[in-house]
Amino acid sequence: MNMICPLKSEETIDVLLDYSAGRLEESRRTLFEGHMAHCAECAAFLAGQTKVWQTLDAWEPEPVSMDFNRRMWQKIDAAAAAPWYRKLADSLRLGAWKPALPLTAALVLVAAGFVMDHQGAVPAAPGVASSAGVSVTEAEQVEKTLDDIQLLRQLDAAAGAEPGSSKTM
Amino acid sequence: MWQRVNTVIGANPAPDLDAQLMLRVRDGDEDSFRVLLDKHRNPLVHFLYRMVQEQAVSEELAQEVFLRIYKSRLSYEPTARFTTWMFRIATHLALNWLRDEKNARGQERLDEDRGGDLPAREVADRKPSVEQRMVYQARLQEVRDAIGKLPEKQRAAVLMHKYEEMEYAQIASVLGCSESAVKSLLFRAYETLRARLAHMVTGGPL
Repeated sequence: MNMICPLKSEETIDVLLDYSAGRLEESRRTLFEGHMAHCAECAAFLAGQTKVWQTLDAWEPEPVSMDFNRRMWQKIDAAAAAPWYRKLADSLRLGAWKPALPLTAALVLVAAGFVMDHQGAVPAAPGVASSAGVSVTEAEQVEKTLDDIQLLRQLDAAAGAEPGSSKTM
Repeated sequence: MWQRVNTVIGANPAPDLDAQLMLRVRDGDEDSFRVLLDKHRNPLVHFLYRMVQEQAVSEELAQEVFLRIYKSRLSYEPTARFTTWMFRIATHLALNWLRDEKNARGQERLDEDRGGDLPAREVADRKPSVEQRMVYQARLQEVRDAIGKLPEKQRAAVLMHKYEEMEYAQIASVLGCSESAVKSLLFRAYETLRARLAHMVTGGPL
């Protein structure tokens, strides 16, 4: 069974990395060795990668200080003795509030929906906006009525001035 | 439900013993925290040392990681493997430190400082001659420089893959990217290292 060259796909590049690290599982290793027997590119890559791997092995870190744990517990004790506002700031920085975020967002949405839904049902306060709308309409009606009365008076006057007009109007 | 929990915790179906210890810490058991500290102190400091390449800083950052873990104990939920969470905090702190340091001092000063950290244990164990020591230190310095000059994410990925032997999925979770992105990062990083260390690689390992 042939395999696609690992160098030709990023998805299978781990075969090369794992093989050089000695972490490739048995079945894939056999398959890859069969492929590498006739793939010069893979063989060359692997030779270089194996040497890089061995070179990196030489970099050993320094041992950790003997008093690491003691200093660690000192810091923990200091944190425990910190004032409440420092602890609060720490908990905010550490994201302890994050689990509550979806719940808070949901509550805000529900509250916003409630306000929008009940906005029309709120009785108009005897104040500014709604009463202003009503007073505009009333003013127009009063003005029209006054115009009508004035027109009637003019007609009445005109009728009175004409000869032979009746006073019954 | 069990399948979902396993998926959340990680690719490895084995129970995460560290997460169980952390749950005990959440319930007030400080001894469990001591166990976690003893178990993960060395790998964490070594990872951070290779990231920032300064011993004192790596220990300070490791202590900050453990301190954050301890402070978060009351709200701890095992939604990921413990080591994934721990390395995520460590990587975040290391990258922040590198950025701050880069801004404050510049890369040249950082390179000078790296020269002062010599691995005394190697010298003591092998008892090499002065000349061998100098050759070893020079070559080791080249390895450190080659890794130190990698882009930060590539550096973190290589260190977790090479030295911590972490799986691609776990590295992806720590770095917040996909598995294929991790493979791509690693491939590019090793290609770069191969080119930078070519003169050493052709002569065999250190």
